[in-house]
Amino acid sequence: MRKLILLSSFLFTFLISAQNKQVLYDFAQLPQTLLLNPAVDFQGKFHIGVPGLSQLSFHAGFTGFSAYDLLADNKVSINDKIKDIYNSFGKSEFLSFNQQMELLNIGIRLRDNSYVSVGYYQELDVLFKFPKDLVDLFYDGNTVLNRRYSIAKLAGQAELLGVFHVGISRKVNEFTRFGMRAKIYSSVASVSTKRNTGEFYTVKGTDNIYKQHLSNIDVLLETAGIQLPDDVEADQSYLKSQFLFGGNLGIGLDLGFTYQPKEQWELTGSLQDLGFIYYTKNVESHRLRGTYALEGFQLDFDPNTPDTYWNDLKDNFEKRVKKDSIMSNFMNFRPLKLNGSITYSFGRKRHDDCTFINRIIPYSNKIGAHLFSRLNVVHSYIAATLFYERRFGNSLSTKITYTADPFSYANVGLGISARAGAFNIYAIADNLLGLRNVYNMQSANVQLGMNFIFGAY
Amino acid sequence: MIVSPTKITYFFLLVLCFACTKSIDTDQLDDASFESTYLFTLVHLSLKAPKFLDEFNQEIPVTSDMVKVPDLDDLSPYLKRAEFTVETENSFNRNFTLNIFFYDINKKLIYTLKPVIIVPAKSGKLSHILTIPENEIKVLDKTHYFGMNISLWHSTSGKLIKATDPSEFILKSSLKLVVNLNKA
Repeated sequence: MRKLILLSSFLFTFLISAQNKQVLYDFAQLPQTLLLNPAVDFQGKFHIGVPGLSQLSFHAGFTGFSAYDLLADNKVSINDKIKDIYNSFGKSEFLSFNQQMELLNIGIRLRDNSYVSVGYYQELDVLFKFPKDLVDLFYDGNTVLNRRYSIAKLAGQAELLGVFHVGISRKVNEFTRFGMRAKIYSSVASVSTKRNTGEFYTVKGTDNIYKQHLSNIDVLLETAGIQLPDDVEADQSYLKSQFLFGGNLGIGLDLGFTYQPKEQWELTGSLQDLGFIYYTKNVESHRLRGTYALEGFQLDFDPNTPDTYWNDLKDNFEKRVKKDSIMSNFMNFRPLKLNGSITYSFGRKRHDDCTFINRIIPYSNKIGAHLFSRLNVVHSYIAATLFYERRFGNSLSTKITYTADPFSYANVGLGISARAGAFNIYAIADNLLGLRNVYNMQSANVQLGMNFIFGAY
Repeated sequence: MIVSPTKITYFFLLVLCFACTKSIDTDQLDDASFESTYLFTLVHLSLKAPKFLDEFNQEIPVTSDMVKVPDLDDLSPYLKRAEFTVETENSFNRNFTLNIFFYDINKKLIYTLKPVIIVPAKSGKLSHILTIPENEIKVLDKTHYFGMNISLWHSTSGKLIKATDPSEFILKSSLKLVVNLNKA
């Protein structure tokens, strides 16, 4: 086997799939909103995304500190800034990155007013969470006796994959729509470590001054598609085949609903990526587990005995803390995302003379609240958003959001979708208040795309 | 109409107008520095009378041992100071001198840790701190072996150690390595 480090930058780009697309959620003028809630009544009869350009999405964030916290050109010394950052570090912080590129997105409204959409996108999704204990160990050292440094919160997950999906949004009665989207995941490369346990600590010894412990260490690193056989080249054709169902496969499901109890009120909810990937190809995992205590070398001052202290210690350590390489298959659940919203529409109703099918007629204004939650063994969090959406005829729609999430309690986002004939272009960005000082931003979210939308209303 | 497209456009432009950066200084990273101290347990021993006697029950004036030490290559650029703590207890009625040496890969002596420790006869727990200062810390880069000599002082009373002597010489030790991340 030849070690091939595939996409090393992807491994070391410490990053979560934040994936809270709060501006895009329930933005019914855009077909991409169907990926967040398959039940949404997309306001068109047919759409096709511009291949490769229908959605480019980027998110990056770090909850710990910003570049400005560290590098601000002020009179505070760099070492005081480092100390302040260290002191403000939470019990665990995470770095995240998510990138998606949609290559195919097509949808059509059926005669029964259902909307069917099909697509394919590539995704890079990375999360790394690290505990304060390790920062303490790095910054302060280990001179505090009985202080336990735990790796329990050390976790990370990185995945490069392609996702094929097909979904339907179906009206079940006058007030309710249900939606479902089936997904096939094809993972190109995956690295994950989670549910780690173990502590390191130093106590007063009996035979020596100190006794140092590694207690209940259990660290598992699972990889797939990283170490490739000798005869495999990670070239373009290889990557293409891996993205298109040649990788490690998985299945998933999105579910959603919209419910309109009164004409101007709407409740929505969705569940994304209820699924898993089962890794069978190019898998290699490494596990370290055991318990070890050390009081140092006991010198015997025997001139007839050769010096084997260090080798004896290594042998003893390896007996007690086992390192295994595992080639067996494994499974990872996809990060599950939950969305829920309540909205109130008002303002001038738009004329809909050209629409002969029964549907909710859009109002010009919409306000609402949106909750997002991401559930994953690596890290889970929640975000809350208030939003105002404004339509200007058929040609322009805007949405402004205010979100509190782990990166910021004042994240203002803006989305604009414009149409000229069937051509639609949109741009979405959040954390706009952070633009006052880009270096001080702890997260950013951008989505851009172009579609052709026919029969938009 | 509550908000017009013109107002939206103005708002968007206003936001973009405010998009800016406050001044940062990346050069200050050159001055970044913080010290961490790492504690390691080291050697310990408990020597009884027979260790100081040969097969003819004659006193051995110097007894020694040597330990191969792990490479400190990863830490080496950051090392600022090394501080050894040695605790001794001596129930023999004789003084001992304790020398700690560092040897290179060919077991050639390259450094003697100072001061030399004198352990008085019938002494209880004594603690000694020996430091390798910053200007000598690079010696650890070349160190492959760590040796210890224990020298038994001549008896002033003429009374020699016997194999049945229940006395004990106990030594415990630890190492504090002070690292500075600006030293790389």
